[in-house]
Amino acid sequence: MNDAPSFAEPVAATNFSFLRGASHPADMVIRAHALGMAGIGIADRNSVAGVVRAFDAWKRIGGPDSGFRLIVGARLVFADGTPDVVAYPMTRQGWSHLTRLLTCGNRRAEKGECELRLTDLLDHAGEIALIAMEADAPLLHTLRKSFPKLWLAAKMPRSGQDARQLARCMSLAAETKVPLIATNDALFAAPEDRPLQDVLTCIREGLRVQTAGRRLAVNAERHLKAPREMARLFHSCPEAVEATGDLLSCIDFQLDELAYEYPHEPVPPGWTPQGWLEHLVEEGARDRFPDGLPDQYREVLDEEFRLIRKKNYASYFLTVHDIVRFARNLDEPILCQGRGSAANSLVCYLLGVTPIDPVKERLLFSRFLSEERNEPPDIDVDFEHERREEVIQYIYRRYGRDRAGIAATVIRYRQRSAIREVGKALGLTEDVTARFSGTVWGSWGGDELPESQLAEAGFDPTNPELARLRDMVGQLLEFPRHLSQHVGGFVLSQGRLDELVPIHNAAMPDRTFIEWDKNDLEALGLMKVDVLALGMLTAIRKSFDLMRDHGLGELTLATVPRKDEATYRMLRKGDSIGAFQVESRAQIAMLPRMKPERLYDLVIQVAIVRPGPIQGGMVHPYLRRRNGEEEVEYPGPKGEIYSVLSKTLGIPLFQEQAMKLAIVAAGFSPAEADGLRRAMATFRRQGTMPYYQTRLVEGMVKRGYPRDFAERCFEQIKGFGDYGFPESHAQAFAWLAYVSSWLKCHYPAVFTCALLNSQPMGFYAPAQLVRDAREHGVEVRPIDVNASEWNNSLEGERILRLGLRQIGGFRKEWAEELISARQKGVITSLEDAARRAELPVRALHLLADADAFGSLGHNRREAGWEARRVPAVQLPLFAAQEVPELGKEPSAALPAMSQAEEVVADYQTQRLSLKGHPMQFLRGHLTHKGVLDCASVNAARDGAKVRAAGVVLTRQRPGTGHAIFITIEDETGVVNALLWARDFERQRRPVMAARLMVIDGKVQRSKEDVVHLIVDCVTDASDLLMRLTDAGTNTSGNESRENEPSAHQHPRNVRILPRSRDFH
Amino acid sequence: MTLADARARCPALIVQPSDPEGDARELERLVRGMGRFTPTVSTDASDGIILDVTGCAHLFGGEEELARQALALAGYTTRHSFAANASAARALARHGGSGSDEDVLPLPIVALDLDEKALAALRRAGLHSIGDLTRRPMRTLAARFGEETVTRLRQILGEVPSPLVPHREPAPIRIGARFAEPLIRTEDALDVIEDLLVQAARKMEARKLGGRRFGVMLHRSDNVRRSLTIETGQPLRDPAVVLRLLRERIETLADPLDPGFGFDGIDLAVFRTEPLLSRQMALESREEEKADSLATLIDRLSVRFGEDHVHRLMPRDRHLPEKTQALVPAMRTQAGVWPAAEERLPRPLLLFDPPQPVEAIAGVPDGPPQRFRWRDRLHEVRLAEGPERIGPEWWRRREGHLPGESGLTRDYYRIEDREGRRYWLFRHGLFDEKPDPRWYLHGLFP
Repeated sequence: MNDAPSFAEPVAATNFSFLRGASHPADMVIRAHALGMAGIGIADRNSVAGVVRAFDAWKRIGGPDSGFRLIVGARLVFADGTPDVVAYPMTRQGWSHLTRLLTCGNRRAEKGECELRLTDLLDHAGEIALIAMEADAPLLHTLRKSFPKLWLAAKMPRSGQDARQLARCMSLAAETKVPLIATNDALFAAPEDRPLQDVLTCIREGLRVQTAGRRLAVNAERHLKAPREMARLFHSCPEAVEATGDLLSCIDFQLDELAYEYPHEPVPPGWTPQGWLEHLVEEGARDRFPDGLPDQYREVLDEEFRLIRKKNYASYFLTVHDIVRFARNLDEPILCQGRGSAANSLVCYLLGVTPIDPVKERLLFSRFLSEERNEPPDIDVDFEHERREEVIQYIYRRYGRDRAGIAATVIRYRQRSAIREVGKALGLTEDVTARFSGTVWGSWGGDELPESQLAEAGFDPTNPELARLRDMVGQLLEFPRHLSQHVGGFVLSQGRLDELVPIHNAAMPDRTFIEWDKNDLEALGLMKVDVLALGMLTAIRKSFDLMRDHGLGELTLATVPRKDEATYRMLRKGDSIGAFQVESRAQIAMLPRMKPERLYDLVIQVAIVRPGPIQGGMVHPYLRRRNGEEEVEYPGPKGEIYSVLSKTLGIPLFQEQAMKLAIVAAGFSPAEADGLRRAMATFRRQGTMPYYQTRLVEGMVKRGYPRDFAERCFEQIKGFGDYGFPESHAQAFAWLAYVSSWLKCHYPAVFTCALLNSQPMGFYAPAQLVRDAREHGVEVRPIDVNASEWNNSLEGERILRLGLRQIGGFRKEWAEELISARQKGVITSLEDAARRAELPVRALHLLADADAFGSLGHNRREAGWEARRVPAVQLPLFAAQEVPELGKEPSAALPAMSQAEEVVADYQTQRLSLKGHPMQFLRGHLTHKGVLDCASVNAARDGAKVRAAGVVLTRQRPGTGHAIFITIEDETGVVNALLWARDFERQRRPVMAARLMVIDGKVQRSKEDVVHLIVDCVTDASDLLMRLTDAGTNTSGNESRENEPSAHQHPRNVRILPRSRDFH
Repeated sequence: MTLADARARCPALIVQPSDPEGDARELERLVRGMGRFTPTVSTDASDGIILDVTGCAHLFGGEEELARQALALAGYTTRHSFAANASAARALARHGGSGSDEDVLPLPIVALDLDEKALAALRRAGLHSIGDLTRRPMRTLAARFGEETVTRLRQILGEVPSPLVPHREPAPIRIGARFAEPLIRTEDALDVIEDLLVQAARKMEARKLGGRRFGVMLHRSDNVRRSLTIETGQPLRDPAVVLRLLRERIETLADPLDPGFGFDGIDLAVFRTEPLLSRQMALESREEEKADSLATLIDRLSVRFGEDHVHRLMPRDRHLPEKTQALVPAMRTQAGVWPAAEERLPRPLLLFDPPQPVEAIAGVPDGPPQRFRWRDRLHEVRLAEGPERIGPEWWRRREGHLPGESGLTRDYYRIEDREGRRYWLFRHGLFDEKPDPRWYLHGLFP
């Protein structure tokens, strides 16, 4: 093999050339290496989005030590008709030119496009090597003037005239003195990828493979070919093959050269970042500890300073502090709170980024930064969801758009999208694919479509067309589809950001994002600050505002009374509707078992009801140990994991523990643990998990741990992949859970009011929140034109007035007009409201429908009848005289509205009713059929066979999908039902469709007194709701007519109750 | 609810795409059929028919019997009602009970055909039936829901008339001639037919129609009837052209036209028509006529040989050479668009179907053949170009998407032998697909 020719494929696309490349970047690199190439050049269409993945793969096969070279660049596709050119930066400077060039094209075009012209390329010349894919002599001359390192691509695509074309290229090369370079212009790694490539082409062009014809590639030649094969193909032009070596050797740039400098803004002149940080922290320490910092704190702080100095992270903390300071110093401050591993530090507490004192709460589970690992510090800051945009725009203002950008999120093919698009490309009708993807619950299925799923959809799994669909969907899964902006990860830099990475326009106005996602940034050691939106912060801030405005006290996140026994007592009862994180059904069921008594119990509570611990089977052992039913033990030699697991009674619950465990118990090196952490996040994509499984389990067993313990640990780590929950996050959330519970416990009216004003957020609909408030002694008053604000408001410590925002479709401007009109005098009639507040007819209708004219003595029906009469515009003559236009008219003597109708109308307009519950009007009918009310079901003995009925509030099928949780409600309360997945299929229809459900089942009562109804049989009784609208008003007495189903009903009439909230 | 939702709830659901045009056609057909009961028939919305049976019912044995017959004729699941006026009958049929009750007061308010907002407002006001409305002052209704609502209400109550727009069927194009003396010669009959065609053309022109199917019925004096039918690819009304086609038809009759004792009557009917606008005659250019003349030729050939025997080549967008064109009946297609010569790779004029196996000696793995034996003759290759590699159509094979199952790739070579003859050969399969691939001759270059 010593005469093996040297060749490196200089033009390889990856699947980041969306819908063109058919292989992952890593596959390209690994295949090229395996074929014995000297290197590979990765170049996607007007993008460098895939190069970091390639770089990562290259480092995994050994990086520079492997002797295999990776060069990265982009294939420039022009909008002005210039043939494609592939560009490789030769130095860091060249990289800047390339990224600025791409940014220029991106910013000029619509989202997702890149509009480049030849002049742009010439404007950004310098330090870039070019390969012209096709060219004529004038173009080559033009390019060579600016780009001394220029090659002309020579291809052997097996098109029938290869030899002629090569000869033509050779003579052009001789004429222009531009050397040839051999390439296969690869789109995929191996010839077997051709079917997938064809499918991608069809998806891109909206075709079907059967009829796409010559728009598909004619053969499978555009794969990576071995050097020997390339030498054979180019035997008449060996210099083209050798030229690939010249290309590699002229490139002196690697991605890890992208050094990164923090912005200098937060540091005043004359200070070093470290000095300024220490100064700010000491200042904060004086505020928090006026009597001087205790020794214990000083010790921790010195250690943190040492680490920050060593790692040079001061600027990062300062940048975060700067953003937080901005939000806090606004005229109306925005509530915010940090979380993440670095947020656990005393530095963050003293800077005011987090409200939790890590020393007092003993949260220093481990050092907040690991010294050995090169893991960048991680601080996410949550802001009020309604006002986060202000923070984002501040960041753009302060650092400029050329220095601040949001990270990208790679939108990938998920089962649903893959099934739909592959199905279409393979020529299946939408009918079939819809049926197929209809069996996928949520947007995430498993890795592949199991055969059972086909059968579930009523297909024959052996049908070859469907087998093909299934196979190709499996191949397409996880392919990137397009780039979108991350929810809030900002990258800030001192230098121009567009010299680091290309910038795109986002779909939202005033937003730009960079081309790399968070994994890419992490792989390159670039740091980002997450500016996230959290609805609960909005609600808490609104609660604090309400308390201040009503003289109930002045509070901030940091000053909420701690260790409040009443709050914990409430939580132990599972009374947590509305409280952050602990309000879901599963959490409520867990609370009485956890019996939280201090903040750390909430930290565990938040983390334990998650797919990770549940999948890992960690929940029950933990509860047993907590309740003293099982001895706390630390398996393995010498209790070496005691330090890791003592806080959680020997059960690993947090992501950090999993990693620590890998190091301590399985003998991982810190770098390996780091790899494990990354594999956790991306194991579906990379498939590196089996390697770690063997390493971890065998490592632990070898070191003396029981195998089943090791396997459970691994199962849990795998669960973290999807829903990782590190302790640092749990801590931040636990604090918010505590604060919101405290508010709920002591100021239920304030809290409910704030929650309603922050909708949409949280787990429950307004109806449940209001109901819960009333059960806690809050008086809730109805919407009224003379009393309601736009927002819900307080009329006393325990009196809540519903606001106009609860009326579906009502606009804020109308409310403002109405309120300003009200200040000049009480509204006296509908016409008065229409004229003085200049309300349009639609607003009047909505108010009337919402029964908001109670203070005028109009009931809903009369107001609605009257509202129909008010003309849209007052006639000028009446307007000039300022007299009412409407005269008296004979009374219509409308029939009185039944209570049931009132309730239904309330639900239709406000999605809640203060007058009653729809179920109470069906009670007689239901009792007759042997249905118990929810309160009786919840009081029934364990094992009792009962029949319950109620309006469906939520349907939930959590991660593992073994069970479906259904919550139903009636006028007496809610029942939590649980349906095993094995019983689901035979009653899919009622389960999925019912708004009103009758459930036959067996009561299961746990020893903590948590009641679940184990579902036997579900019946869809939604048609009973139809009775409510006409009940009691059926004057004709001819039932058959009234119940005649009509196809022409208004959706509002058909939809009596709001949709249930279904979670996946 | 989306279709996918419906499917999720009921996997056995049968789904048909909505076809409003088909529905309208079908309703039209029913309306025509109803013409036998009364001259005043009209459609109602997309799914109803209103018959004014005033003075007609006794002809069918009373209203009930008429209804029974009409419903049997329709043959669908239907609802019907009788009432003193069309609006009331319509409201009863659509929204009433099943009985023969003619009382409109208990009808629900949807019978008024108001928009959804108005209906919701009425329901909100607690007014659910027509009766509820009639008990309220009309002007309070008019102030809120407009005069139109009151008019509809009064129509149903019979207080104002509800006129119908009856359906009128265009008369079919049929012309006949009767003769006192029978015509003995076929030529004379054809003269008469031509005359009839001229009249038919005039009628069709007035309606902007052209015929696609013409029928001629010849009545012989001894009561024997012969019928001739011709079809055309394009709508036609030029009598000369139609007559020419008829002559073709007569000439190709298996059983020749025998006037016997003479024809004493001839009928012409145009069974199928399509819209055909009059065209401006071109003064100079005769382009249009050229296109016409090809269509005319196809019509003539198809009449003579039968539709399935006249084909034309259509281009097909495929990579496989033998699949790039297809023969289709000429009557049913328009000429296709062929790719321009410069964007095509060289292809032989003559293709063998199937390709002929040859024995060839060639370089491994993808060298051109050096010599090959075809029909027992050895050809020495002098010049060769290639390969042009054409991949298999993996989607046509079961499991073709799996590695190794997609089928064999072909490598085509253009060959010139020592005698200067040019061939198109291919190797069926790459060496890594098949150990010993076969060679085929697929075509000859001129």
